[in-house]
Amino acid sequence: MAGTLTRRNFLSLDFGDRRSAGDHWVRVHRVAMACRFEVMLSSDDAIDVEAARAALDEADDIETMLTVFRETSEVAELNRRAAVEPVAVSAGLFTLLQRSARLHAGTDGAFDVTATPLSRCWGFLKRDGRVPADAELARALANVGMRHVTLDPDRRTVSFARAGVEISFGAIGKGYALDRMAGVLRTHGARRALLSAGRSSVLAIGGRGRGWPIDVRPQLASHTAGRLWIRDGAVGTSGAGEQFIVADGRRYGHVLDPRTGRPADGLLAASVITGDAAAADGLSTAFLIGGADLAERYCDTHPQTMAIVVGADGTRVFGRYDGATLEQTT
Amino acid sequence: MNLTPEQRAAGRRNFLKAIAGVPAVAALGAAAIAKGPIKGGRVKVGYIGLGGQGRALLTRTDFSSVEAKALCDIRPDSLAASDEILKKAGQPPAKHYVEFKEMLEHEDIEAIITAPPLWAHADIVTACLDAGKHVLCEKMIAKTRDGYHAMMAAAAKNNRVLEIGYQRNYNPVYRSAYEGIMKPGVLGEIYAVRLSWGRNGNWRRHQEPPSKDYDPSTWGYPTWEHLVNWRLYWRYSEGLFAELGSHQVNAANWFLGATPERVQAMGGVYRFKDGRELPDHVFATFEYPGGITGTFSSIESNAFDERFEMFFGTKGTLVMHNENEALLFDESTDAARPTGVETAPKGPGALLETSETKPQQSGGAARAQTSGAAAEAISPNTYEIVTWANAIRCGTPLNCGAEKASHSASWTIAANEAMKSGQVVKIL
Repeated sequence: MAGTLTRRNFLSLDFGDRRSAGDHWVRVHRVAMACRFEVMLSSDDAIDVEAARAALDEADDIETMLTVFRETSEVAELNRRAAVEPVAVSAGLFTLLQRSARLHAGTDGAFDVTATPLSRCWGFLKRDGRVPADAELARALANVGMRHVTLDPDRRTVSFARAGVEISFGAIGKGYALDRMAGVLRTHGARRALLSAGRSSVLAIGGRGRGWPIDVRPQLASHTAGRLWIRDGAVGTSGAGEQFIVADGRRYGHVLDPRTGRPADGLLAASVITGDAAAADGLSTAFLIGGADLAERYCDTHPQTMAIVVGADGTRVFGRYDGATLEQTT
Repeated sequence: MNLTPEQRAAGRRNFLKAIAGVPAVAALGAAAIAKGPIKGGRVKVGYIGLGGQGRALLTRTDFSSVEAKALCDIRPDSLAASDEILKKAGQPPAKHYVEFKEMLEHEDIEAIITAPPLWAHADIVTACLDAGKHVLCEKMIAKTRDGYHAMMAAAAKNNRVLEIGYQRNYNPVYRSAYEGIMKPGVLGEIYAVRLSWGRNGNWRRHQEPPSKDYDPSTWGYPTWEHLVNWRLYWRYSEGLFAELGSHQVNAANWFLGATPERVQAMGGVYRFKDGRELPDHVFATFEYPGGITGTFSSIESNAFDERFEMFFGTKGTLVMHNENEALLFDESTDAARPTGVETAPKGPGALLETSETKPQQSGGAARAQTSGAAAEAISPNTYEIVTWANAIRCGTPLNCGAEKASHSASWTIAANEAMKSGQVVKIL
């Protein structure tokens, strides 16, 4: 009978040859922040499906906090009031603002959560792009910059120096959500999972062997930039293929340089591998704007940061991350 | 269910598909079955009963695990169709038999895969087990309680592997749902289970006999029509409760870790009054210990419900839909954002493809789902046969087994007794 080992059966046991119907991936997913959030587990770890669901609840909560598309979100409230008076915010939001300020400083201002007026000016918010007049752009640019934002850690308050300043976490929110989801999963005891938000933000918890295989394939690049094997780390990607407008025979990408108000150009895409997904997301945006020079300088001075920058002339890799191996496509 | 107006408008059938937030699990199945001969070589198998389901099993056989040595059927047309399947699979022809006992006597085979009409299960399987063969028998295990008791006793006495073809036990979606949802208690306390299988069509088949003088009475069928339409007569069949219901009850028993204790039922021949005996509409209500009530319905007049098993818990609802997707709904949060759980085969290649966000993107991992996972869908029947072959060679466990299969049979038998008598019947 099944389950009873006769001597003959015992001698013929060969566990290496056992084939199992349980060898598959379990994907637990939900739509949040207008994309698919997913926790991928090996079927051996299917016990963590409940933890994955709790992690997706966390993503919902973060969207509720960060969204600028709902009047009731904490960030919407902040944007309404912070030019009038200091606004007390939750610990989570305050920490995220502090991290954003550090990324801003570390990237020569290329990463900036106050760039929303520029996107509006270029029509990217309503997906109705146009090239703005110089005066219009100058007015928008005057409201952009972390110098307009004061963070008071003692009172945990935020204030804006002038009306018209707006915070938006579009370039970092998904990564931040993945970091928080990873915290939930780890608290529940999960040891291995691959988390993703849309295509652009990925976070690996643990990993077997070399880690989780992920292809880096920017949309404007002619081929895969490479296959990345990653354990305990995050990948964030930004690119010019995302949204763009064409005017006067020129293509304008939707990632705007917050220092000039003009679309970033030079790179097709930038991917960053580092320990947390918020930083990976933020830095990938910064490098797309700041170019290969910024990526190289940043990776030289920040350990555990790897950048894959894809330009029309090819792919360059800077820095390293201990949990990641890149097989470049030649 | 708590639907948004948009979802209601899309209609329930579409809703069931759309609610997972993604297309139905196209990637079901897996390349998990390694190729190459299993330890000890392929299991030498004879096939008995090569009608529709028998040929489906032959088609879904992984011939790196199993060698088809002989084919047995009382219908020459079924044997001819089976030859074609082997030829297409690149397998050498197998010898034909009409009498299974002759096959047992003359062929060098170790095991039997069998899918005859239900009433023949017990005699064939018991004889095969007594002849020292391992058996994979299509569901339901047997038409009568005596029948399955004899089969289980023969398997034990002869120390042979006996598996019954409840393929949900081998379906990755069900295994994931069991491991990830049911076992950890994600649904909270469960008090209700709803099983449904709606079809809109006639079970009656119209086929020509293989020759004018073909006489099926040798094997107990007074007419050709009885042989072709055995599912419509009590002598050979237990009807919809057996053919459809026992699949779903088997899955419910597995998921709940329990077996039902009593059942009441209604049904009748309401639509197709063509001389058939077996009802075309059946409805049963049954109880598990601890106040869990299950219902099963199967109707032959409307396919709107398709087929599903729903588990209702205090914290959530799990819907197993059409054997290929699992849907999970929280009781606590808004139903506009359901959590989807799906499985994908493990294969070579990347798990995800990462790039910048696509314009207007939602469901962003859609491309990632197929990346590296382009493996063809493998039938749960294939897993079933491979697992059975491994159980024979290595003593590894089966996913269902005869005893669990007998519980769904006892439910079926009791449900039919309840339907005929109008009484609540204890499930033995």
